[in-house]
Amino acid sequence: MKREGAWRIFANEYNDSNVVIRGTGEKKPSYVITPLGAKINRLFVVGVLTDVESLSEENELLRAHVSDPTGIYTLYSGQFQPDVTATLLNIEIPSFLAFVGKVRIFEPEEGVLYLSVRPEVVYEVDSSVRDRWILETCKSTWERINAVRDAMKLSSPSINELVKLGYSRQLSEGVIKAIKSYKNIDVNRYLNSIEEALRYLLPEEEGLLSGEVDIEAQEEKREEKDGMEETVLEIIKEIEGDKGAQWDVIVERCQQLGMDKDTVEEIISSLLDKGLIYEPVLGMIKTT
Amino acid sequence: MNGEISAYIDEIMSALGDEGISRENIEKEFKRFIEYGVPPEQAKKSLIRKFGGKKITRKFLKDVKPNEQSINIICKLITKNTREINVKGETKTIYYGMLGDETAVLPFTSWRSDFPAEKGDIIEIRNAYSREWQGTVQINIGERTGIKKLDEGDIPNIQQDVKKCKIKDVYSTFGPIEIEAKILSISEKEVETDGIKKKVFSGVLGDDTGKAQFTAWHDFDLKEGDVVRIKGCYAKFWRGIPQIVFDERSTVDKLKEDISVGSLSVPLHKLVEMRGGIDVTTEGTVIEIKENSGYVERCPECNRLIKNGECSVHGKVRGVADLRLKMIVDDGYAGVSAIANREVTEKLIDMSLSDCKKIVKDGGEDDLLDIIRKKILTKRLRLRGNAFGDEFGTTLIIKDASVVDVDIPSEAQQLLQMVEGER
Repeated sequence: MKREGAWRIFANEYNDSNVVIRGTGEKKPSYVITPLGAKINRLFVVGVLTDVESLSEENELLRAHVSDPTGIYTLYSGQFQPDVTATLLNIEIPSFLAFVGKVRIFEPEEGVLYLSVRPEVVYEVDSSVRDRWILETCKSTWERINAVRDAMKLSSPSINELVKLGYSRQLSEGVIKAIKSYKNIDVNRYLNSIEEALRYLLPEEEGLLSGEVDIEAQEEKREEKDGMEETVLEIIKEIEGDKGAQWDVIVERCQQLGMDKDTVEEIISSLLDKGLIYEPVLGMIKTT
Repeated sequence: MNGEISAYIDEIMSALGDEGISRENIEKEFKRFIEYGVPPEQAKKSLIRKFGGKKITRKFLKDVKPNEQSINIICKLITKNTREINVKGETKTIYYGMLGDETAVLPFTSWRSDFPAEKGDIIEIRNAYSREWQGTVQINIGERTGIKKLDEGDIPNIQQDVKKCKIKDVYSTFGPIEIEAKILSISEKEVETDGIKKKVFSGVLGDDTGKAQFTAWHDFDLKEGDVVRIKGCYAKFWRGIPQIVFDERSTVDKLKEDISVGSLSVPLHKLVEMRGGIDVTTEGTVIEIKENSGYVERCPECNRLIKNGECSVHGKVRGVADLRLKMIVDDGYAGVSAIANREVTEKLIDMSLSDCKKIVKDGGEDDLLDIIRKKILTKRLRLRGNAFGDEFGTTLIIKDASVVDVDIPSEAQQLLQMVEGER
């Protein structure tokens, strides 16, 4: 069996995915198809390791989170990856972490999909490596956006047509699947991700000057955010019950109050960081 | 309905050709079939069979288009190879190769359990179908396709459409080709086929797009440095490496003007698709460095790795120190195993063998591996070497490697402008 390539994907594109191809039969690989047509079995990510927690006695199963400029990757490492588990237990937090891993698909019921990663190798790196990864991932996200746009322009999109336009066979296969499976592909969302991530790599253009002027505005923004955090926390308390509140339901409830999905996710992760809520199982949120 | 019927009658008439059968007659018979409730397509076939008798319309290979049914051809079986495939857990042998007639040469794949003809036979193939495979029409032979051997005289000269191409194109060109290349190395050996001794010349040739191995089954008096035009040669592949094969049926002309020879430069995922190549250049990121990389000792007799000063064949020996790297290099779509020898390793980690030896003696192999990993993991490398494909993918034996420097702010600025420009 041929080795699968390691895709460069930002966390938001990965976590947005809800299409999977399940491998059947012996050793057939499974794939996650992202909205931009990445057909992922393996990925390569560099980000910030924000937490590692043990889910069982004797560290048989670890969960870790790695954040990139767009979101958070959830990693699970068990007894079959002793080197990875050992590294994760001994690494300082926070630190820059690179990992190569396989997609991990958990579908507790029809239509509910939780994506995480089973790392094969992890290693500590420095910030320059992370910056290089961000640049490379921006480039490859940009290429996927163009592939999706080109595919939608074709009268009868096919893998061969996309290959003829110069895209790799792997990407062409994924893009054809994506445009068939996703109703509306929100290309702008990912253009925003690229722009934000790229700005992050550039030296501050206007420097401190504009920063000073903005202090008041930032203060206002923070107060607004604090207010929203309270609202979200109330909603979670209201619906959590014994098992916790489902991520999707929280997002839905907040959207009804006029918040957009990105903001809600940002707030939830900020609440997670503050330790006001936690994630007992993937996709479920409980207050502490 | 009448219009439809006459369309079917037209098809029947053209299929029967000049058989002297009247149109009215056919129309009468056709309508009778329809009255009996026979689907028109079926009625058409029955009538063609009835009036056409044994006569089958022969199709020339140059006229075959993708996705045609019921193709009948007379051709020469130019090559025939087998491949094992896995169908629902069972191993099946399929046949593939090239077919040629006086108009063209096309690749074929046969899914029949047997293939009752050999290379060089003139055969009649009935009821084949066609598909498109990587931009070329391919003849497909199924269980219901008939294959019959004919006498040698039944086919005129095979018109092989010789395509001019560069070395980089031989991966995707079927049939006979014409190339202009420089002989980079050549050696002679004697082989015996069917009890006859024959001289074979083989080596490496190249043009400005890449290099390939070659085998000449005839003495064209080729010498290293010759620039030649070879017309009517074929490309064969061994583990993904192209081999240009030619013999006395090919035309070889020596050219006066020199040509430049270069390494074939391809994106890494493309190299994996091609499977292999001689002297290729590609780029990717180092995402993994395998445990068995670093400092090793080898047996001075046989070059095998030794453990604790002992060679598995020659016993206790004085080991020869060496360095090597085995890494996974990946471009985001595909990965290769890349193997570096001492020279390349020293260049990449910017340390000499004796530096490495000292680290191992002082701290152990893991210390050295840690240093190597810190130095090259996640780096983007430009690699040049020979690549081989097997069932696990592609392995690149590195001849030269260098780290590609990335100017992050300027590349980020460039991309940002492009992205914003599209808004």
